[in-house]
Amino acid sequence: MRILLARWLAGVLLALALVGPALAQSPESTLNALLGEVRAGMPANCDAPEADALVRVLCSGHLRVGVRDSYPLFATVQDGERHGYDIDVARAIAQRLGVEPVWIPVKPATRISTLAEGGADVVIATMGHNTRRDAEATFIRPHYYQSETTIVGPKSIQIHSWDDLFNRTVCTTIGNYANARIVSRDVRVMLYDAAGRLPEALRDGTCRLAAQDDSFFAAYLAQDGFGDQFERKFGFDQVPWGMAVAADGADGLAQALELVSLIMHRDGGFLEIAQRDGIFTEFLQSQQALFNNPECIGAAGFAAPDCLIPALEADPPPTAFLPQVEAFLAWTKDTFGVSPALPMLMTQPAWDLFIAGVVNSLILVAGALAATLAFALFVGFISALPYRPVRFLAWLVVVTLQSSPVLLTLVVVTAVAQALFTYSSAVALGAAIVALGLMNGCNAGQAIGEAAESIRRERGLGRGLTMPLFGAAVSRSLTQLLSFLVNAAKGTPVASFTGAPELLAALTDITSFAAGRVATYTIVLVFYMIVVWFVVWVCNRVRARIERTGAGA
Amino acid sequence: MITLMQLLKSDYPADLASAMVVNFQIAGLALAIGLALGFPLALALAGGKGWRRAVAPVLGILRAAPTFVVMFFLLNVIPRDFAIAGIPLAPSGAMIVALSLAPYAASYVGDNGSDAIRALRQGSPDRALLFLPNIVRAFFVLVMSSSTGAAIGVNEGVSVVLRQAEHWPDLGDKLVVFAIGVLAFGIVFQAGFALMRLSVAWLGRRRRTGQTGQTGV
Repeated sequence: MRILLARWLAGVLLALALVGPALAQSPESTLNALLGEVRAGMPANCDAPEADALVRVLCSGHLRVGVRDSYPLFATVQDGERHGYDIDVARAIAQRLGVEPVWIPVKPATRISTLAEGGADVVIATMGHNTRRDAEATFIRPHYYQSETTIVGPKSIQIHSWDDLFNRTVCTTIGNYANARIVSRDVRVMLYDAAGRLPEALRDGTCRLAAQDDSFFAAYLAQDGFGDQFERKFGFDQVPWGMAVAADGADGLAQALELVSLIMHRDGGFLEIAQRDGIFTEFLQSQQALFNNPECIGAAGFAAPDCLIPALEADPPPTAFLPQVEAFLAWTKDTFGVSPALPMLMTQPAWDLFIAGVVNSLILVAGALAATLAFALFVGFISALPYRPVRFLAWLVVVTLQSSPVLLTLVVVTAVAQALFTYSSAVALGAAIVALGLMNGCNAGQAIGEAAESIRRERGLGRGLTMPLFGAAVSRSLTQLLSFLVNAAKGTPVASFTGAPELLAALTDITSFAAGRVATYTIVLVFYMIVVWFVVWVCNRVRARIERTGAGA
Repeated sequence: MITLMQLLKSDYPADLASAMVVNFQIAGLALAIGLALGFPLALALAGGKGWRRAVAPVLGILRAAPTFVVMFFLLNVIPRDFAIAGIPLAPSGAMIVALSLAPYAASYVGDNGSDAIRALRQGSPDRALLFLPNIVRAFFVLVMSSSTGAAIGVNEGVSVVLRQAEHWPDLGDKLVVFAIGVLAFGIVFQAGFALMRLSVAWLGRRRRTGQTGQTGV
């Protein structure tokens, strides 16, 4: 029966296309013909179990619209009345179809499932149209709106492009599809679990910059208190918003809605509603201009395919070994009842980030150990010299570094590096190595200097510094030196704060656009603990060897 | 010089001072947790070989846990709506920083506490009392370490320094902002260590007085 109805609708449209330009060229005539054919079959077709959603809508006189409850400017409820762009669009569409809208509250998580379960005829609920959702529902094109991710920050900060964001921190929400783009531009992310926390974080200074859909920030930027202080810096990653109908049994309704959308774009209906509701209108203005071009109206009155925006590509490429990973996860699920989420093994971008993170972490640890040793010997040598001014200088540097919190030292060294070199991830890594080496090496160097002084006192030596004395001082302060080497290894994850692309930073980036935070952060914790254990083990082996050598000598 | 004067006249010093109170709160909380967790470890370490073997892996894990990673781990693992019997128990950012510092604090208390217990058993209460200045040292190390909270949006001292630095585009001006921050933390840190040295010296004098039979009255 459903197939018959679909064939019948297709036949109607084909006939309209063949009748000739005089009858079937405008969207209005196509829509009227489509609605007329359905009404002609009423009420006989109304009770047909396989009836298209359009038949049900026209028979019942009601269009059940899935809408959100609390999305400022788009869909809100005040005193029992619904307001906003989505609501007004739904009213206009229902009016065009000659029916009454019935509101069905939906949430982001239930938008598509409500359609699939037959709980609504259409969903108009701030829903981005992407390739992943294309398989789950039929999206109506032309799209009724388009948003973009926007960077918002204080007016006092000059941010115009990605270059200005380099190595800055941007607050965003977990799972935001735009995060992948943000982290790919070497911008650090601070993650929040809900968009509603971002404006407050901007106000109290916790965040200097925030990234979120422009439709979300529009309401806040319209407020005097917020809008006076903050502004939109720039936007990226445009997402077309689609109203959607069920994937099955709604072909007729989808065609009717496509025609209504086309008419509303061409005649400025969407634009008028948007202006009334105070939302951004650039997209709607461009669509109005587009669909006033006769080339964008196809033969049957529908929009020409070339004039339609494709669904956003939302599926990153999978890894080559994804089937094996999925098989393993299925096995763990069957065997243990649970399976960890391993986003770093699922998609190629996440896998690349993960491998780079591991490699960079190991480079960072090795570099920090080498730098700590080098600074320790250098500061130790300076501290053991007989010249008081030089010793005082070394003491001053050590005290300053001891007085500076680790994060602050890291930021200062990175700022200096940024002034000297063209900033890059490699420079961030290098700056972190220098900072960690300075902090730990200076402390160890101070211990060497003190050891040299104690040896002089014990042996009644003069102020001069000889290599045997220096060697003995290093040997005496070995415990301190090794403990600061371990400390340097433990401190390496801090480098993620200044944009060094080590494992913690990489996994934070991965979890910003993929699920599985618990497993991911467990992996990073275990990784660093193994690294520290290994460093401790190596240090103990070195100490044992030196002590054996000393005993043998 | 102009930058320095402008900064000193602005809200920056006051904001920094009030934000550093958060560093002290975090350090105090971390130390309290560290004492609670570390005391049983200290008792075990000061016990027999069996006890020492039993707690060695625990101490190894506590010593090897990098604070910064633990902080992110806790931040991402504890649900935001975490509750028991309807009572919301999701920790604040500052609490998460304190919890991330707890492994270090607990291992430190365990190590130093076991030394103190052994000293008491050997009839050397004065040496055991060195535990107190060591705890003071740990507290000030924790104050410095609590600056990691800036990475998860905790409004503590370093956060204020970094926010202020963003207002100054020139590196020279930024360095002045950083220098004031380092000075503020430095005063606290060095004062803490001076206090610790004084208390160690006092304990030394007390021990010497005890050894010579003087009462000090």
